[in-house]
Amino acid sequence: MSNVVSAEKLLRSVGDLEKLRKKLQKEWNTSTKIVRVCMGPGCAAKGARGVYELFLEAARESSTKVAIETKPVGCHGLCERGPIVIVEPGNIFYQQVEEPDVAEIFRETVLSGRIVERLLYEDPETGKRVHHAEEIPFYSAQKRIALSQNGIIDPTSIDDYIATGGYSALAKALTHMKPEEVIDEVEKAGLRGRGGGGFLTARKWRSCREAEGFPKYLICNGDEGDPGAFMDRAVMEGNPHAILEGMIIGAYAIGSHHGYIYVRNEYPLSVERLREGIERSREYGLLGENILGSSHSFDIRINRGGGAFVCGESTALMASLEGRAGEPRAKYIHTVESGFREKPTVLNNVETWANVPAIINEGGGKYASIGTEKSKGTKVFSLVGKVVNTGLVEVPMGTTIRQMVFDIGGGVKGGKKFKAVQTGGPSGGCIPAAYLDSPVDFDELTKLGSMMGSGGMIVMDEDNCMVNVAKYFLHFLKDESCGKCTPCREGIPQMLYILEKITKGEGEPGDIEKLEALGELVSEASLCALGKTAANPVLSTIKYFREEYEAHINEKRCPAKECKGLFSYVINAEACTGCGICKRACPVEAISGEKKTPHTIDQSKCTKCGACFEKCPFTAIEKV
Amino acid sequence: MTIEEIVEKYESDKGMLIPIMQDIQYEYGYLPAERLRELAVILDVPLSRVYQVATFYASFRLAPKGQHEVTLCMGTVCYLKGADRIAERISEEYGIEPGGTTEDRLFTLQAVNCVGACAVAPVVIVDGNYHGNCTPESTLEILHGLSRQEEEKDPAKEGATSTRRDKRE
Amino acid sequence: MPTVTIDGISVQVKKEATILDAARKAGVWIPTLCYNASLPPTGACRLCLVELDRGGWSQLVTACNYPVRKDITVSVKSERAQKVRRGVMELLLARAPESRELAEIAARMGVTETPYPKVTESQRNCILCGLCTSVCEEVIGCSAISFVGRGADRAVATPFRLASDDCIGCGACAMICPVGTIQIRVHEDTDEVEISPFKTRVKMMICEECGARMVSQPVEEQMLGKVKINWDEFRERARLCPECRRKRTVKALVLGTEQTIV
Repeated sequence: MSNVVSAEKLLRSVGDLEKLRKKLQKEWNTSTKIVRVCMGPGCAAKGARGVYELFLEAARESSTKVAIETKPVGCHGLCERGPIVIVEPGNIFYQQVEEPDVAEIFRETVLSGRIVERLLYEDPETGKRVHHAEEIPFYSAQKRIALSQNGIIDPTSIDDYIATGGYSALAKALTHMKPEEVIDEVEKAGLRGRGGGGFLTARKWRSCREAEGFPKYLICNGDEGDPGAFMDRAVMEGNPHAILEGMIIGAYAIGSHHGYIYVRNEYPLSVERLREGIERSREYGLLGENILGSSHSFDIRINRGGGAFVCGESTALMASLEGRAGEPRAKYIHTVESGFREKPTVLNNVETWANVPAIINEGGGKYASIGTEKSKGTKVFSLVGKVVNTGLVEVPMGTTIRQMVFDIGGGVKGGKKFKAVQTGGPSGGCIPAAYLDSPVDFDELTKLGSMMGSGGMIVMDEDNCMVNVAKYFLHFLKDESCGKCTPCREGIPQMLYILEKITKGEGEPGDIEKLEALGELVSEASLCALGKTAANPVLSTIKYFREEYEAHINEKRCPAKECKGLFSYVINAEACTGCGICKRACPVEAISGEKKTPHTIDQSKCTKCGACFEKCPFTAIEKV
Repeated sequence: MTIEEIVEKYESDKGMLIPIMQDIQYEYGYLPAERLRELAVILDVPLSRVYQVATFYASFRLAPKGQHEVTLCMGTVCYLKGADRIAERISEEYGIEPGGTTEDRLFTLQAVNCVGACAVAPVVIVDGNYHGNCTPESTLEILHGLSRQEEEKDPAKEGATSTRRDKRE
Repeated sequence: MPTVTIDGISVQVKKEATILDAARKAGVWIPTLCYNASLPPTGACRLCLVELDRGGWSQLVTACNYPVRKDITVSVKSERAQKVRRGVMELLLARAPESRELAEIAARMGVTETPYPKVTESQRNCILCGLCTSVCEEVIGCSAISFVGRGADRAVATPFRLASDDCIGCGACAMICPVGTIQIRVHEDTDEVEISPFKTRVKMMICEECGARMVSQPVEEQMLGKVKINWDEFRERARLCPECRRKRTVKALVLGTEQTIV
């Protein structure tokens, strides 16, 4: 966008903001040709940057008089089909765009309005090709609030944000609402923390507002430590101003002038986007002293994490912000009373903050009309793993697991059988097929022995060994435990030791009971949520997949054929061409057979190392 | 930048110890012991706290890193799609474990718990560039390519990098 | 003043006092390890978990740092609380199998052995309670040791695991260690005191008369500025151990010399 604002960028009043908005909207609507290239993490990893650069160049070199705008946009959601490019006019949705395709799209669609059929999304069932994202089931079932501007605006442009309605909620709050009324609205909306705790946001804000002590601090938790989760990343990189606006409103509500955004170290691009956003906001006077001419002053500083999952826990995060090791502390005295620097602090997750502007703009009642009785609004989930359409989705609370995995997700990849969905990251659990029709909301997932967590939804199929899944999570938690309290520090390694024995075929009767007892101890006695929920992956897989554990222990067999040594390799005589590659690969000479005749594996010699399986060019070796 | 300049940039705020140490690591490639001792004096925090912070957070390195940084994502989705086999293969080929650096200081291998690109798992990041849908073979290809580049620059370096381990503290 | 009813016994405590304070007042024993009256409680070892009645449900809380703000009912002897405390102790016994002090507390709790394999770490016998690091930082003011690493690899050590320049050899860490892991060793040949296992040695002051070892030199330096006395006089006095000083004073008094060294 052109440099719309004059040298004096400062917006001195809400009136100034609205004047600017009208101007930007006019330009936004008159911009005829736009190419939006998704630069979300999935698309970027597949070469979106190269695609973007080529479109930029093409637009630059083009001799046409019509202005062509090339916009880098934030994560659109359907990462599986990236890189994604959307062309206006026509809102044409192209997927799996590679650099060689750019010239054609530019010539045909951008310049001449013709469709490039082969790059359209093709429905896997009907074979029909669709033009617009809304026609794809993945998108049509979604309701986007936190992600509403993702994929539409350039995240580095504050003008784009304002043109699409940004900072209108802030203007409304500052001019028409008292701080307590802002909290009332958030309460009406029923917003609950989106980071995993699910605590009622309004209650937190109110407690902090009423707490004694100054100054009051506002923190945005951008640590997103759950592996498999990248929702917050998509918001931070795709629409950072939504977070900033939410925080400025929140600060107004609780009476804070100092804010921090804590971003995990592994997200350098998020840090950059937020930093840019803060600088642009400061220029416009949306951060700093006397925001929009009001008496509200607030500024934000960004801190990066140092690489510690435990710093997603609020007191550990605050310790990290204070320049110390990220060790949690008891929360008998809540952080809203005594938190950062022992002052009243409100800490909320990225997605929670990103929902605030919509709540203020449209009213808490509207927000509360979506979702279930106790879980209002929408939630962003990362739908990943063995699912056809991997990516980010935002759906109303109460959508069932089946809808998410099958309708939106397109079902299990490769036609395999659905086994479980893992939710809530390392603090959550695995939910089996029997509960596919369960609605997804805070309390339902907890009832099933898992939890919502930050929104990770990892789909698992018949080839995933659930004991191995439990082992993976415990290994993760052992790595990430801060080590302060006895049960977590000592109990998790003890549980991991048992699981490793089991997956190696050395499990003993009584191991399951030992795991359950240890799991109970760690849950009951740990100091913080990391320890308290550490046993969930183990206990939930024992609950729903006990037979798998028993097979490992009693039969030394892995039903999913994942654990090395606990299943056998057999050559399918029909598929085998007798090429002899496997025979040569075998380190213990367990394979025999003449050239061009089917080979066989001598099971008594076989060490189950898998070398033959890896090398066979005809996939003639099967796991049994 | 000197330690003094870095501390001044953060207004000698003790609470900014971690960003200060991140800047030092960015400047020197790792956290040299001598610089940490200097930092403790200039910022007026106990050396024991500086060392505690340096050893608590996974991103801090107390030993120099190699020329090329190879980061393996070990998040759930990457793991389920075979990230550990990539780690194994690299370990076999170059003799380093996550956290280690090859003897010729060409590669430093790091394992990270999730970089947020789960849709294209397994993910390997080489010198800041994301590579998605990686396999043990495709990852080795990338690394071999870098080795070859170095050889072309400096013909004195021969063949694949050596196999001695160099674990960080 | 709120009332705490603990295992049926009611006591009144000041607001913000802890459940542990109330228990001590009521004469109810709760095992502790990482608690020391001279330091702020951290609730790290989890040995003092008790069951707090929440009206309808109950919560396990650590007695050492739970602040009493209103009337509450606490159960120390409940099955749930005892089970969890014993579980914690069993994990600790696997971590510090050679500690006599730990075994004594365990025995008093009714725990004589642990079902868990012993942890083989280089710092076996350290239960990572943090009392040593806290006393060094907050009471002595030296911060010579700290926690390093995290999780199962967490340990107490000096910076870079080398001898510390900040240690004054006061031995407070050894005194406060609840499991006897930290020891003070005196090296006769070099007149040094060593704090084991931190590899730090510090020179001691020697009595000019009899050669007895006294306080360490760094302790003297540390006290500079912290204690209001005449330091020249101190240095005079400090050249003799208390016994020799006494003898000299007596001699001076008996001989009636003007100068007395007290």
